[in-house]
Parts: sequence; structure tokens; C-alpha cells
Amino acid sequence: MADPVLAARGMTKSFGSNEVLRNIDFEVIAGRNIALCGENGAGKSTLIKLMTGVYTPTAGEVLLDGAPAVFAGPKEAIAAGIAVVHQEFSTISALTVAENVFLEKEPRTRLGLVDRRRLRRDCVDLLRQLGIDLDPDTTLDRLSVAEAQMVEIAKALRSRARVLILDEPTAVLSHREIDHLFRILRDLREQGMGLVYVSHRLDEIFEVCTDICVLKDGDVTSAGPIGDYDHDRVVAAMVGRSLGELFPPKSGPAEGAEAVLSLRGLVAEGGAPPVDLVLRPGEIVGLAGLVGSGRTELALAVFGAARSSGGVELANATYGKRTPGRSLAAGLAMLTEDRKTDGLFPDASVAWNFAASTLGKGARPLALSPQEEERRSRSVVERFKVVVDHVGQPISALSGGNQQKVLIGRLLENAPRVLLLDEPTRGVDVATKAEIYRTLRRLAEEGVAILVISSELIEVVGLCDRVHVMRDGALVAELIGDAITEDGIMAVAAAAGGGAP
Amino acid sequence: MSDLARAVRFQNVHLAIVGLIAAIFIVGVFSSDRFVTVLNIANVQDQLVALALVALAQTVVILSGGIDLSFAGLLGLLSVLFATFAGSDPETFAAAYIGILALGTAIGALTGGIVALSGIHPLIVTLATSTIMAGAALLHTKQPSGSVPIFFEDIVYARFFGFLPWGTLFVVAAYVLVGFVLWRTRFGIRVYAIGDDERAATISGVPVKLTKVLIYAFSGFIVALAAIYLVGRFGVGDPRAGIGFDLRSITPVIVGGTLLAGGRGGVLGTFLAVILLALLANVLNFLNVSNFYLWIVEGVIIVVAVSLFVARTRP
Repeated sequence: MADPVLAARGMTKSFGSNEVLRNIDFEVIAGRNIALCGENGAGKSTLIKLMTGVYTPTAGEVLLDGAPAVFAGPKEAIAAGIAVVHQEFSTISALTVAENVFLEKEPRTRLGLVDRRRLRRDCVDLLRQLGIDLDPDTTLDRLSVAEAQMVEIAKALRSRARVLILDEPTAVLSHREIDHLFRILRDLREQGMGLVYVSHRLDEIFEVCTDICVLKDGDVTSAGPIGDYDHDRVVAAMVGRSLGELFPPKSGPAEGAEAVLSLRGLVAEGGAPPVDLVLRPGEIVGLAGLVGSGRTELALAVFGAARSSGGVELANATYGKRTPGRSLAAGLAMLTEDRKTDGLFPDASVAWNFAASTLGKGARPLALSPQEEERRSRSVVERFKVVVDHVGQPISALSGGNQQKVLIGRLLENAPRVLLLDEPTRGVDVATKAEIYRTLRRLAEEGVAILVISSELIEVVGLCDRVHVMRDGALVAELIGDAITEDGIMAVAAAAGGGAP
Repeated sequence: MSDLARAVRFQNVHLAIVGLIAAIFIVGVFSSDRFVTVLNIANVQDQLVALALVALAQTVVILSGGIDLSFAGLLGLLSVLFATFAGSDPETFAAAYIGILALGTAIGALTGGIVALSGIHPLIVTLATSTIMAGAALLHTKQPSGSVPIFFEDIVYARFFGFLPWGTLFVVAAYVLVGFVLWRTRFGIRVYAIGDDERAATISGVPVKLTKVLIYAFSGFIVALAAIYLVGRFGVGDPRAGIGFDLRSITPVIVGGTLLAGGRGGVLGTFLAVILLALLANVLNFLNVSNFYLWIVEGVIIVVAVSLFVARTRP
């Protein structure tokens, strides 16, 4: 194998007495794409930050072309040709593509004025080189998230880069958009760039990466060419146990259980076809499909957060005028897809976020006393093993997995009979995922009916008793028992006529 | 879209304003034969200069996601100080002129520094600045007082071809210059970047704090120019000269299509909206409509303009 462009040798990093990385060897090779996997807290971002000059190592060194290199800061790493695309976008929607790509690096005339002509020309050249087809004069608010991601990549590569590090680049992209991204990444790789791909999503890693390095608790637990791995081996290296152990055994609805929620010709706003669907107590039903197939819209329509027409029966009674408040009072609860914008009050405390469930209709007239708030939230923190210093901490200080646990605990506060969960484990580490799966199965066994929307096929296959596949707003297939397989779902979800990938 | 349209941040609302201006102009022509006279046209311009200047400052501040409510107090204080020190000969006048510009800029920079470093909302900071300045102005003098040299009044009231005052040329030059700065300098791009998304701007390496200080300093500088102009026009310094300019400076910015949330819009819309508002006041005057109706009309224009933008920007 060729010599590495960038490497970490014996990299160790401690914060105080807390050793977060131990003696790590990691290599980025020109023309190869290495996946950096690991749970949240495994040390992935720390390793990236050590190699890009954000942190200085406690021990060990960074090698650039085999020679030791010390980056005093991110700017020096960038100057050495190491580009990073962070998970958080840095694009600005009011600016044009060209202004974004060259922000703070605008070509200037001798008088110090921004050279608009050269700005556009440089941008066109760069985009062409990357195979990105975008008008440099379009403002970013006219672009899709995926196109903004392309701009982000172009921005990272505006100065000559030899290494490109992408941190969870697909968190917000649809399948089709991911395909485009992957095409660009393959092109870059073939042009001889060394790529590092940080991701939770195993499907993607297998699709786009050539090598893999798995971190767990600050150690490399496994590394090698991607061809030597399968899903199970990667998960085992990440969490120390195999995939099968992630999911609790399935059980399904009780014999002869009557439907608790029935959709009869429900039409979600936006011209989708009518939908029939039944949920029985005790079962976990998956709603699979591509992004944009109408799964979230359907759940929002049932919950009453989006307009719809047609019939919904809840416990054998017609449930016509649906609003979120009425749904909660009737025992129908929903977990939204994007907890940051639709679930959390990010600046408020854990306790307050939890107590927000008592603000709804049918709730008590007075707010909970702070003591009661704290008592109730403490019990949830204990029950779900939420990792938190104290319940007065702002919820934004918690990891994604712990935030999600608080939200699920909040849902259960009103003892729902039906749960609609939209991407319940998005941005959650594997260990927490396993906990959430066990909690859901336990709830089902207690008689709750659960509908899970998920884009992670492994999850749908491992967790659900029954799966409906959605395409263009319609339920196109129902899979039960052994018929639930990743291939089976994808074959239907991406069939012609649908938004094929 | 052509380069020029991009450079002036052209929006369709600008055409609508031009149309309105034309319509009001026609109403004016029919309302009185004194409307299209060199005297009246010069008069309209005299009345819009100060507003045009503070609205220009406000445009840049709002584009950057901030707001500046300090104009009421700041105009009053700078006005009385300038009238006190301007004297009657060119030397004292020049010294006072430069001193007032420097003072306005410094107060603006200070305000910007507090906004940038404290994290307190600029609405609060500039409201406090305004209150302090208003108090200081009234401590200095309760009544309009002071004077400016005759030659300065002559300049303010001079007209080219009988209808074109220096003030208008000055305003046009200022708008063109600021528009150019917004389009062709890194500072200009930073203003839009900060106004749209301060977090993204920060991680892109934009010096957010420095830029904010410069923006409010610029605002103070422009307000000083407006104060000097007002003294020249009325011949005295008035501690109450700025009353109303704080909120009135926002109206043309919003009507002209700049988003109150920042990041979108430009000086062309503000310029057109200033003309629209000044012409409207003038024509209503000729129609013998009370000034109070003008307030009502202005209010309606603001609400209509803003709801149009809201409808447009919603997905």
C-alpha cells in the first residue's frame, strides 16, 4: 500500500485525568477513503481535531508525508492541504454560492476591493473540477440541503487540499442526494485525494469507503480494508457485541387483539392517495420508505399536526377533529423527527423540558412546582439511565442519545396507548439505540401500539413485527415476520415510479 | 440577472415603489399648480435629506441583523454641540465639523463595542445610548441655541438650476458609496453574512465583533452628518432635533424591502422608500390632509409592505 499522506502515530490525548484517546495509529492514504467509526464519545472527533491542529496531542505525533508536523491551529492544517467539512454547516443562505465558497478568501484587486469577476471565475473553475453543477450567482436559500452540502465541500476544497475529512456528512441528506455526494467523493478519490469519512451509518460506509477504522472508548478495536468486514463485525467492534444482541426478541400483538388505531382512507394534505392502516396493542409496526415518500406527513396527519381528511378511529371511536392537544389527551403521542426544532426547548433545563408535557390540554391549571418538576424528571432520569449532572442542566448540554431518552420519557408521562415515533434513534449512539429498542419492546409488551418511522433498514428489520413500505404517499407493501428483510424493503421502496435513488 | 441588478440588490418591490412614486406624483400634479414648481421640488428634497441619511445608517445596521435606536438622543446631542462650537468663521466651523463627526463615530463605535462584547440585544443597548444622549443634550441646553456661520446656511440653501440642493447630491453620493462598499468590499459581504447567520459567519472566520463595531461606528458617523445638516438647515442646535428619527429611520428600510431579521435587502430600496414617503407627505399637504392622516398612511404602508415580504419568504 502507498505511503500515507497524513498519519497519526501513537496519538494519545487526555483532558485532565480523563484519557480519551490511547496510542492511536491512523493513516490517510492518497486515493483511498477510510471510514472512521465509533459510538458517540469513542474519540472520533478528538482524533480529527488532533490531526487538524485544533488540539495538541498529549503524546504521539502527526505525520505529513511521513515527516512529523505540528499544526499550531486549524489554519496551519488547512494551509498544509487538510480540509474538513464539519457536521454543522457554515454556509450562509443570504450569500451566493461564490460568496460562500470564498468567504473571507475573496480574490481582491490591488485596491483591496473584492474582484467580483475573478470571484465568479474561480468558483466556476472549482465547481467544474469537483463535478458540481451549480450557478455561482444563486443565493444559498434557493438550494436544497444537499446542494448546500456541495457548497460546503467546495468551500473546504477552495485552497489546494490533499486530504478531505467529512464529519457525518449525510445526516440531513436523502438517498438520492447521498448518491450525488458519493459520486463526488469517488471522483475526488480517483483524483488521488485521501478521504476520511466519519459516520454512524454503516450502509454508507460499505458503499463509499475502501478502508475502515473502528474506535471504542479511545482505542482502535479493529481496522483494515472494508472488504474484510460486514455489518455485524463493524457493530461488534463498535459496541463490543453483535448486531443480533442489539434488538430484543420480537413478540407481536396478543392473539385476537383488536385494533387500537385504524386509518380508513386517511388523506394527508398535498394530494397523497388515501391510506388504510391498523395498529394493534402490543405490536411494533415499521413504516419504511425513502426520504420524501410521505411517512412523516402521514404521522403528522394522524397526530393532528398537519391537515388531512378521511377517517381515523382511535379505540373504536371516530377521531375526527384532530389536534396535537386532543391527540395527547386521547392517548396518542408522537415523537418528531427533528428533536432540535420540534421537540426540545434547547436552553431550558432537563426538568423543565420534561415538565413541558404537563402544559397541554387537560393538564393541571397550575404549573408544576419546581420540586415536583425535579422529582418527576429525576424518576425519568433514573428509569432511562439518562447521563446528566443534575436535572437543572440545560438539555442542550446532553448528548443526542440522552436528549432522546428525556423526550421518550416525556411522551410516556401521559400514559399513551399509541406511540408514533419518527426516526426515534437518529443521531443516537449504538448503546443508547439498544436501550431505546428494549424500552419500546417493553412498552409494546405492556400493551402500547407503536408505529416506528425509520430510514435505518437494520432498525426496521431488527425491531418491527410488521412493516409497511411507503412510496409516493401510498402504502405499497406489507411485510410480516421473516419476509422483513433489507432487500425486500428496498426493492419495494425504490421501485420504478417512486423517487428511485 | 445582470451584474448591476445584483450589485444594487434589485427586488421587484423596487419597481412597485417607483410605480407608487409615479402615481403620487401624478396626484400631486392634479392637486395643485404649485406642486411642480422649483420651489416645491427643492422643498421636498430639503425635507428628505436628514431622513435619507439616518435611514442609510439604519439600513446597514439592520442588514447586519442589528438595530440602532440611538438616533433620537444622538442627533439632539450632536446638534446642540455643533451649534455651540461652530462659531462664525471657517476655522472654528471646520474644527467643530471634524469634532462632531469624530464624536458621532466614537459614540457609535462604543455602542457597537458594547453590542459586540456584551451580547445584550442592540435594541436595548442603543435605547440606553439614546436616553443617555438625550439627557446630556438637555443638560447642555433646554432651548434651541447656538448658531452656524452664514456661509454654511448659504451652502445648505443653495440650489443648482433653482431646484437641486447640495443636500440631495450629498445623499445620492452617500447612497452610491455605501452601496458600492456593500457590493465590492469584504466588509460589505461580512455585513450580509453576519446579518443572515452569525454562527455560520463565525465558523467561517468572519471577524464578527470587529465588524459590528465598524457598523455602529459607521452609523454614528452618518448620524453626525445628519445632525450637522439639520443645524445648517434650521440655523440653531436643538436638543429635540432627533425626536422621532429613531423609529422613522426604520420605516423606509422595511418598506424598501430590507428584512428586519437581517441579511437581505440593500440601500436602493431604502432610497426609493425615502422619496416615496417624502413625496407622500408633500402631496397630502397639498390636498389639505392633516399630518395625522400621514401617520396613519405610513403605518398602513409598513404593515402592507411587511406582510408582503412575509408572504414571500414563507415556504
